[in-house]
Amino acid sequence: MTATLTSTKAEQPVGRRRWAGPVAKYAVYAGIVVLIVVNAVMSSTFLSLDNLRVQLYQAVPVLIVALGMALVIGTEGIDLSVGGVIALTSAVLPLYLGYGVWVAIALAILAGGVCGAISGSLVAFARVQPIVATLSLMIGLRGLAVIMNGATAKPINDSTLLNLGLTGWFGLPQMAYIGAGLVAVIAFVVRRTTLGRNLVAVGDNASASFLAGLPVRRILLSVYVISGMLAAVAGVLIAGHGAYADPANYGLNYELLAITAVVVGGTPLSGGQIRVIGTVAGTIFMQLVSATLIQNNVKNSYEQMIEAVIICIAVFIARESANR
Amino acid sequence: MAAVAAAMVLGTAGCTKSSSSGNSSSAGSSSSGSSSSSSGGGQQQVQTAAGGSGPACTSTKYGAPKLDLTKVTVGFSQSESTSNPFRATETKSITDEAKRLGIKLIQRNANANVSQQNTDIQDMISQGAKVLIVAPENSDGLTPALTAAKAKHIPVLTIDRTVKGTACSDFIGFIGSNFYKQAQISADDLAGGMGGKGEVAVLQGTSGNNVATDRTNGFTSQIKAKYPNIKVVASQTANFDQATGQKVMEQILQSHPKLTGVYAENDTMALGAIQAIRAAGKTPGKDIKVVAIDGTQQCVQDVANGVMVADVETNPRFGPLAFSSLQKFYGSTGTSTKVIIADHHFTKDNAKAALSNGDVY
Repeated sequence: MTATLTSTKAEQPVGRRRWAGPVAKYAVYAGIVVLIVVNAVMSSTFLSLDNLRVQLYQAVPVLIVALGMALVIGTEGIDLSVGGVIALTSAVLPLYLGYGVWVAIALAILAGGVCGAISGSLVAFARVQPIVATLSLMIGLRGLAVIMNGATAKPINDSTLLNLGLTGWFGLPQMAYIGAGLVAVIAFVVRRTTLGRNLVAVGDNASASFLAGLPVRRILLSVYVISGMLAAVAGVLIAGHGAYADPANYGLNYELLAITAVVVGGTPLSGGQIRVIGTVAGTIFMQLVSATLIQNNVKNSYEQMIEAVIICIAVFIARESANR
Repeated sequence: MAAVAAAMVLGTAGCTKSSSSGNSSSAGSSSSGSSSSSSGGGQQQVQTAAGGSGPACTSTKYGAPKLDLTKVTVGFSQSESTSNPFRATETKSITDEAKRLGIKLIQRNANANVSQQNTDIQDMISQGAKVLIVAPENSDGLTPALTAAKAKHIPVLTIDRTVKGTACSDFIGFIGSNFYKQAQISADDLAGGMGGKGEVAVLQGTSGNNVATDRTNGFTSQIKAKYPNIKVVASQTANFDQATGQKVMEQILQSHPKLTGVYAENDTMALGAIQAIRAAGKTPGKDIKVVAIDGTQQCVQDVANGVMVADVETNPRFGPLAFSSLQKFYGSTGTSTKVIIADHHFTKDNAKAALSNGDVY
């Protein structure tokens, strides 16, 4: 009798709702289906390859940033510096294009890695809270990028960069293939590698992981470095797509877009869990919301309000389903 | 941490090499382009011969103490980042003119944040600025800073955007373009390019400032009055920003596949729109006509190349006019409370010549 009681209790801790788990897992997929159906009914051109291409151009950079963000959030951290890294990328690229486009891209990604190493070190070694460490970089990096760039934004004329942002293979943008590749790599890292398992363990309980002998600091450091490098990759694609390098405005709000995609995709902010495919779905869902509103000429202030409501709902569902 | 970052930049900055294939506007154009501000190539010209259209305002009328500009500190508050060539040229023009006249200038940039601009202005007041030149971020948000200035009898001259309030009381007056007229000219240009018929999208500037409002109303009323066969099918804000302009335009092109014209309320949004049109597999200038307002180098180049139909200038070289207005304000004649400048109008007929004359910033 007693035993049965305890077990029921264990299954249903106080405050947990039964519906919340599956809802958190599948709500975003249902949302995607609903939005696609609604748009397909309202507009004859929505289900076209052209439209798919446009949505991919806008969603892939967010997705790439969100992948790194998901890893960081998995360790119970947060990376607010990603927008700053994108700004830095758009300052670095035009400065080094003269050495060849691949050198410039490599340097941009290296710079992203260095930024990640700085925030990672602050978090791992100096024990600064992630939100504070990356907030200072978020502000500082944009300032740095604007100074490096000089007075005005610059046009980008390099054909390789422009092709990354504008042309495709088999009807889909080049950047869609890059995004898909990175999703596969990150999914593999999370599910099949020691780093993947370790970082979830750190997110679940950092001190227990440390006592269990996991290299907690090294894990944290690598997660922020990966996030910085992914943000730089996104920055390269954004600059190529815009044919313009504007450190003052590029990457603005990307930290929020990425966090939203991760949270809407069902990854809890409390760490210990990473949903890679959920993050992809979260990105697609938010992109569809934005597309639906702009294509129907809804004022941008309403768009911001609707996105805020979606974030609140997503966090609420995620909170209800977290069984701790 | 800052030290590490700085070291990184210093280490790498020494060996930068920007693309040699870049056109003339990529490197060093900010200095070469705006050097004309002192030589007079692209100097601001006042529209009316009398030197302004508003009633005159003197320091006595304003209630400000008489000053010698060369003996005090002047504060300049810039609203937005200088990554926009308009802002870069404006800041440089003010700085250069202050230097030329031997006036001590302090300045701040609010990076499109109006609460930051309030702080900036109050900071400069406590730093000892006795006169302020303000490029307002929007029309309604600067009341706290203007009240603080008024309490200390510090006169404020507004340039390029207006603020709400009474001229010669809350602020000296306004120097800038006739935004409504600019928009009407753009409407005529676009209608001409489109043969008087078709669907048009409007990319609006940041909401809440008089520039975006006037440029929207001027355009739509002109279209309504003169071109019954042109329909504005989408009108969305893109915050005067290239990336947002591109993003919004990409979506609009999907929902309005028959679109043949775009009116962007500034040049950077037009650059975004052009890129969006290309991404949609269409040719800007052929399939879709683009007009904009600002007259920056990259867009005037596009006009010359036929990518854009036309570009109406907003002359950002405020330095000479701003300081001469202030000098008149402290003199006996006073300065006009409304100085409207005459702007260039770049079309395919004159764009090339304007570029080679150095009239374009």
